[in-house]
Amino acid sequence: MSLQQTQNILSGNADDSRDPVYLRIRDLVYQTCGIYHTEEKLYLLAGACKRRMTEGKIAGAKAYFDTLTRLSTRDAELRQLLNEITIGETCLFRSSGQLDALKNVLLPKLTEERSKLGLRRLRIWSAGCSTGEEPYTLAMFFAEEKERKYPDWNFEILATDLNDRSLETARNGVYGTYALRNTAEAYKKKYFVPAEEGKLRVRDDLKSKIQFSRLNLNDEARVLFMRNLDVILCCNVLIYFDQASKRRVVQHFYSGLLLGGYFFLGHAESLYQVNDQFRLIHLPGTTVYWKAIEGQEAGKQ
Amino acid sequence: MIATEPKKELQRKISELRALPAAPAILQPLLQMLRQPPDKIELKKVVQLVQMEKTITAQCLRVANSPLFGRVRPAESITAAVMTLGIQRMEDILLTSCFHQILQPNKWVTPPTDFWRHSLGCALVCKEFAERIDYSDPDRGYLAGLLHDLGIIVNSVTYEREYAAVFAEARNSGLPLDEVERAKLGFTHSESGGMLAKAWQMPELVVEAIEFHHDVGSSPRENPLVEMVHIVDLLCRMRGIGYGYEEWRAVELAADPAWERLAKFCPRLGTMDLIRFTFDMDTYVERVKATVDAVYRRGDA
Repeated sequence: MSLQQTQNILSGNADDSRDPVYLRIRDLVYQTCGIYHTEEKLYLLAGACKRRMTEGKIAGAKAYFDTLTRLSTRDAELRQLLNEITIGETCLFRSSGQLDALKNVLLPKLTEERSKLGLRRLRIWSAGCSTGEEPYTLAMFFAEEKERKYPDWNFEILATDLNDRSLETARNGVYGTYALRNTAEAYKKKYFVPAEEGKLRVRDDLKSKIQFSRLNLNDEARVLFMRNLDVILCCNVLIYFDQASKRRVVQHFYSGLLLGGYFFLGHAESLYQVNDQFRLIHLPGTTVYWKAIEGQEAGKQ
Repeated sequence: MIATEPKKELQRKISELRALPAAPAILQPLLQMLRQPPDKIELKKVVQLVQMEKTITAQCLRVANSPLFGRVRPAESITAAVMTLGIQRMEDILLTSCFHQILQPNKWVTPPTDFWRHSLGCALVCKEFAERIDYSDPDRGYLAGLLHDLGIIVNSVTYEREYAAVFAEARNSGLPLDEVERAKLGFTHSESGGMLAKAWQMPELVVEAIEFHHDVGSSPRENPLVEMVHIVDLLCRMRGIGYGYEEWRAVELAADPAWERLAKFCPRLGTMDLIRFTFDMDTYVERVKATVDAVYRRGDA
């Protein structure tokens, strides 16, 4: 037992994130929403639960588990809990593992395959872009890649969200220090201009690289128009969907991708038992789902 | 750079290696102990073994007193150290220390901490993987995982100069180590490791796992340990505890021939939630890094 734990117990401030009830909550959240907390990250889940318990005046983890499973309260409470889990997660350049894998493995493969078809364009879709952190990260990433290695390629970035207010913030492109905590100084200089209250605004030429639009992923008629894609990113969005809509949306993603295209989820999300057409690929530090080209291996082994 | 018959030459060098003070005296009894169920292991015997090697005694005390275990008063006797660490952790440290002695500090072609993170990581992950797929002997999985890259040490001793160049090339190109070895040396660390393991009379199934983990198709008989080590090795290399460099490639485990072969022996593999397992691995990775860093504090390696 660590000194800290001992002190916690002596002061009556016991750290109960080891309470086995949190493991049950973890499994419940994973089974219903597809977002997973490893043992190392269990304290984050416990923290989110505790904030909800305080808010809802619920005494104890066991009682909270009941709230999450009782028919009358579970759907609303699960949604609130998911909000707590994902809160503060957004910032620019959040998923360095995904970007490194794109840069070093997927982009070389995709450009090689597409050039064989005479194509010089890649279409990337940020599905559920929220307040714009992900599409701007992608815009900077692809602008850099174009300069570095792919001068004659065109990278189209589509960004959609259901929420009008989020989209407005995204189109505005003004971010404070917290959202920019992972953004390199060089990028801040190159792609941003000073805005009010010490914040930074995305330069117009970078903004022009992204097509923002409102889209409800459950609106099948409109989702069907999202086609000929090479990469789809949909992070921490599907966790809010029930199993049936999740299956449907992922099926649309699959159809919308060109053969050989890739689908990224959030770093702790899973498609287990949601879709068995996508093939799970391991890359250094991350995973991605692949729409396989028949007769081709994902990577030489 | 190497004689025309690389394997014959290697065999000769390895037979010479046997005469070196290569296998520490406590290695064999230790391995035998590891083969017993935990409740059969006698604390007294462990303490006796530990006391036989001065450097190992010192290392155990140091780890037991590291912040990782948060003792209030330092452990002064080896018995106290063993009790703090627990038997399983003790074995990790002992085996690590043993193999560390084979190679003088200045002979390592890669930082020893990288090597041990990978070996201990594979051991832990292999045991856990074995349990999830109902493989009959998870502890054997642990041993095979721990020893599977023994050949890296063999190569470092027998082909010191050439091997440094091989490792440097693998690191610079980001190619799998065994590919570069095959091209430059004519054999891989799996083959040389297998030869030494045989010479040290390690359990036959484990010897095969070491010898064929990069060439599962050549495995002479049905031994799922070979496929399991192959898969777990890949997983570890994709999840931050590889050879100490990133291999920039895509790996589809379910399409690997080893996966299909393993599924025949362990049908539960077919329904395993691989992505959840991948997430869970991050917990081991942290644990392994902490252990290895405690054994080899900076400057000691």
